[in-house]
Order: sequence, then C-alpha cells, then structure tokens
Amino acid sequence: MDSFGLLLDGFAAAVTPEHLLWALIGVTIGTAVGVLPGVGPALTVALLLPITFRLTPENALIMFAGIYYGGMYGGSTTAILLNTPGESASMITTLEGNKMARAGRAAAALATAALGSFVAATIGTVALTFVAPLVADFATSFGPPEYVALMAVAFVTVSALLGRSLLKGVASLLVGITIGLIGIDSQTGQPRLTFGIDSLLDGIDVVIVVIALFALSEAFGHLMTGTGGTTVQPLRERAVMSRSDLRRSWPAWLRGTAFGFPIGALPAGGAEVPTFLSYATERKLSKHPEEFGHGAIEGVAGPEAANNAAAAGVLVPLLTIGLPTSATAAVILTAFQSYGLQPGPQLFSESGPLVWTLIASLYIGNIMLLVLNLPLAKVWARLLTIPAYGIYAGVLVFATLGTFAAGGTTVDLLILLGLGLLGLLMRQGGIPVAPAVVGLILGPLAEQQLRRALTLSEGDPSILLSSGITIVLWIAVALALIASVTLPLLRRRSRSTTNHEG
Amino acid sequence: MTETPQETPDRHTVLASAGFGAVMLVAAVLVIVDAVRLPETGAAVGPAAVPLPVGVLLGVVGAALLVQARTQLATARSAAVQPKAGLRVLGMVAAVVAFALLLPVLGYVVTSTGLFVAAAMLLGAPSLWRSVAYGWALAAIVFLVFDRLIGLSLPSGPWGF
Repeated sequence: MDSFGLLLDGFAAAVTPEHLLWALIGVTIGTAVGVLPGVGPALTVALLLPITFRLTPENALIMFAGIYYGGMYGGSTTAILLNTPGESASMITTLEGNKMARAGRAAAALATAALGSFVAATIGTVALTFVAPLVADFATSFGPPEYVALMAVAFVTVSALLGRSLLKGVASLLVGITIGLIGIDSQTGQPRLTFGIDSLLDGIDVVIVVIALFALSEAFGHLMTGTGGTTVQPLRERAVMSRSDLRRSWPAWLRGTAFGFPIGALPAGGAEVPTFLSYATERKLSKHPEEFGHGAIEGVAGPEAANNAAAAGVLVPLLTIGLPTSATAAVILTAFQSYGLQPGPQLFSESGPLVWTLIASLYIGNIMLLVLNLPLAKVWARLLTIPAYGIYAGVLVFATLGTFAAGGTTVDLLILLGLGLLGLLMRQGGIPVAPAVVGLILGPLAEQQLRRALTLSEGDPSILLSSGITIVLWIAVALALIASVTLPLLRRRSRSTTNHEG
Repeated sequence: MTETPQETPDRHTVLASAGFGAVMLVAAVLVIVDAVRLPETGAAVGPAAVPLPVGVLLGVVGAALLVQARTQLATARSAAVQPKAGLRVLGMVAAVVAFALLLPVLGYVVTSTGLFVAAAMLLGAPSLWRSVAYGWALAAIVFLVFDRLIGLSLPSGPWGF
C-alpha cells in the first residue's frame, strides 16, 4: 500500500509535458537502435551519457529507461524480419519468428511479439514496483561482506551466461576489471597501471571503453567480414493477430513472464536464460509440437515475453543493491553515478521521488511502445532497408561525437582506437564483450567493498563468510562454477555417445 | 537446432582467440610488475591487494586460451576472410585519426561528413556522392540537435558550423 502511494506521486511527477517528451524520445530511440543490427541499448546509453549531461537527472534517466525498454521491443522486429537478433536477448525469437515471416505471417509474429512484450513488461514493472522496496529494505542490513559475495555471484554468472564458453567469458571479465584498475587508487592515492601517463591518472572513461568495445569493434569487424547478403522478409499488412493466434499466444506470454521476471531479478540475472527456458517449455506444452521449427507462434510469444519481463527484473538488483547484471544495466549504473547518485538501498530513502518518477515513467513508456510498435511496425521495418555501410558509418559518427563529449583529448582518441582493435580481436576470437563492460563498472565497486570488509576485520578473510547470507551466496558461486564447467562436458559426452550409436 | 557452430571453430577464430590470450599474458606481466612496485601502506589491505590476484588470473586464463587454441588448431576449418581486410581496418584507423586532427580546424559538420564518407566507402558504399549527401545531412542534424538545442558546444571551424 505504501509503495502504491509513492507510485501515484511518481505518476504525478512523470506526466508533466517535459518528462513525457523525454520518455517519448527515449522509447523512440530505443526502438530504432533495437531494430538496427549492430547497435544496442548499452552502446546508445553510453553514447548519450556525455552528450546529455546538461539534462536534469530525471529527464536523462527517464530517457535512458525508455531506451532500455525500447531496445527490447525493437530487437524482435529485426529477429523476425531479418533472422538476425537486433539484441542478444532476441536470439531465440529468430528461430520461430523468421520462419513465420517466411511463411507470410510476419504481421502475426510482430503482433504477438509486441503485445507479449507489453503484457510482460507491464507485469514485470508491477512486480518491480512491489518487490524493489522489499529488497531495498532487506539490503539495508547488508555490510561489505554481503556485497563482496553478491558481486562474486554476479561476476561468475555474467561470465558464464553472457558467452558461449566460461573460459572466454572469464577472459573478457578480467580484461574489464583490469581496465577498471587503471588510475589513482581511491583509498590510498597511489597511481596504478598509469605508466607515468598523466591522462591515465583519472582512469579510462567508461564511455570510451563501451564505445570502443561495442561501436568501433563492430564497425571494424564489418570491414573484415564484409557485407553478407541479408534477406529482409516483407511486411505486407498491419500487425494484427487472428483470434486463434491470440488464444495460442496469451498463455505463452504469461509463462514467459513467469520465467523472465524472477530470473532477471536474481543477482545472477540476464535476459538470455529465461528466453531459452521459455522456448523449451512452449515446445513441450504445445498442442502443435509439429509446428516448432516451422513457425510456431508460441515460440515467438513466450521468449519475447520472457526477455521483456527479465528486462524489468534486472532493474531490481540494479536499483536496490546497485548490482548490474547486463551490459545495459551496467551503463545505466554509470549514468546514475555521473549524477552523483549511487543505486542501492539508500537510493529509495534519499532520492525516493526520483526513483518513483522513473518507475512510473516505465509504465508510461510501455504504453508508448505498444502504440509505437503495433500500428507503426511497417515504419520500423523500413529501417532494415538501410544498407550496412550507412549504419556503421553513422555509428562511427556518433562514436566520435560521444568520445569528443566525454573528454576528447588526443590520448582519449588513441585509447579509443587501441581498445577498438582489442574489441575487434575479441569479436574475431568469439570472446563476448559484455562481461568486460560489467567487469569494468562492477570491478572498482567490488574492490572497494572487499577492502572495506578486510579493513573492518583487520585483514582476516574469514569476515567474508561471517553471515548466513554470505555463506549461501558463496555456495551459489561454487555451484555456478561447477555447473558451467561440467554441463558442457556432460552435453558433449552424451552427444558423442549418441553419435557412436548412430 | 539451437546448437551454435561452436564445436569446430574456424582457423581465424582460433588464431584471434590465441592472440587475445597472448595480450592477456602481456597484461598479466604489466599488472603484476606494477602491483609489486606499489609501496606498503599502513592499512590492512593496501593498493596491491586486488591487482596481484587479478594479474595472476590474467596470466592463468590467458595461458588457458593459448592452450585451448593449440588443441583446436588441429581440427579447425579454414575460414573465408575478405581480401585486404587488414588494409581496410588500417584505413578506418587513419580516418579516425584524421578526424581528431582536423576537427578543431575545419569544424564539426565538415569533419564528420568526411569521416562518414571515408567509413562508408571503406564499407563498400556504391556511390560517393550519395555518401556525401547522407553524411552531410547526418552531421548537420547532429550539429543542430546537440550544439544548438542541447548546448553541447561542438567545434565550429572558420565558417561557423
């Protein structure tokens, strides 16, 4: 009841023309970057971070939240019409969605994706409204040891989940943490990894790293591989669903939401896992299992709902504990910090009106997104006809604009190029870049908490296991590590035995 | 069906992954050397407490990537890479450097148009003049929105834009 009253206050603040305008700008940009392959919400928020420093925190955060939600909607359009995920969480949508589009049912696929996203994101936002204050309350009892354990959970799951192999995920995470070490140590004033270069004393700006790893490496990578021919499936009619489509879709939406929100809200998080689970479940429960692989509408409805519900879920640990579990969440955390706000339990008590305005604007943004995506689906589909050279040349223009705004000295530019080439190497080697971004942003926070904990105990590491919560979390770390090492081995073994038999 | 083609990686991917492992080994040495030189402080945990284990892990994971690449190289498929790919990446690097040097001299719109055109041509744009038109339009819109509307001051060059 208390959250409800605060939420109403938030709505009162969010429906001012100014806030509505920024929400609309955010969801429009978000849908566009979600649709465009190679440009995602994490990169967009990072690019806009230095450019929009003149906005008030409310306006900027409302816009960033709109971009975050909008990216999830837009990603499905690309998955369905182009057979390429516009966003990593819409990977599964390509499986059935593109098959539906090829069978001439693109409109129904887009409609179930947009409506499912709306239903899931709305339920997810309601859940966020009521769960977040409870978690924040609970988290006020957390001390440095609990934070260290939580961050360890996030590190392990992020490196195991955001890529195909644990080894490559850890490699990426470590490189991110190392980049985060550069600069003056905040607790002792000692310069670390600066090699006598003055401009490294302040560390490397997060914006520059994100631009280099996401934008530059993507453009470089495209130079290497060239433009493979892609086929955009035509969208002939307006996005509508028949009654039987709707009857088959709505249970899948609800089940997808049930997977998405809780998994997204865990400190392990991520939006990819629930989409896999939802797809597998729909396939098992479907009355038309023979349609799977040939364009089953449940296979679009479930995963799309799951990824939007997870997107809302990810905001729970982000806002209440300050723990980002995806690259976009990590960049949004940086946005909070750049306004002098630290997400965590105190955020709700100290900046309550801001948080509730932000949450209220998520509801509003969602309705805007439904309106933008259903009748205007054709307009967004047209974005896919922009040739690749235009997209990547445009990305480069915005990348240099963002770097210029973030400081823009010659050294910054050299760092940008160096990291861009490093990102190219990672892309070519199949090493995911998202764990590096999470490591870069979470690493310094984890170090701070670890040193705080060890200072409290005067160097005795047993403080890290001093409470029930920490023991449970460290067990989770161990289990996640064991699972990510053994599961692929088991899968490989079972496959090789079946191969021998067959 | 959901299986990604990860089991037999191509040669190119394996070599890039090995290269990244090598970069990590170099970084490991740098991080450890830098951490060792940090002075002892009175605090229970000094500035080197985190860099040291991070450096060791960098080395271990980097070495593991190299070993993994070594075993995968035997079975790797050969890969199709675009001809002159390296040259085009160098061209793009040169374009970004030129952008940085010319930005204060020629102003935002002209330099950004140049960067757009260079990138578009390197990426295989069919028409030079159409790229110029697109680039000019994009740069002009960015300048209007961010310089005039939001108030981020962009370099304006001798002609005011």
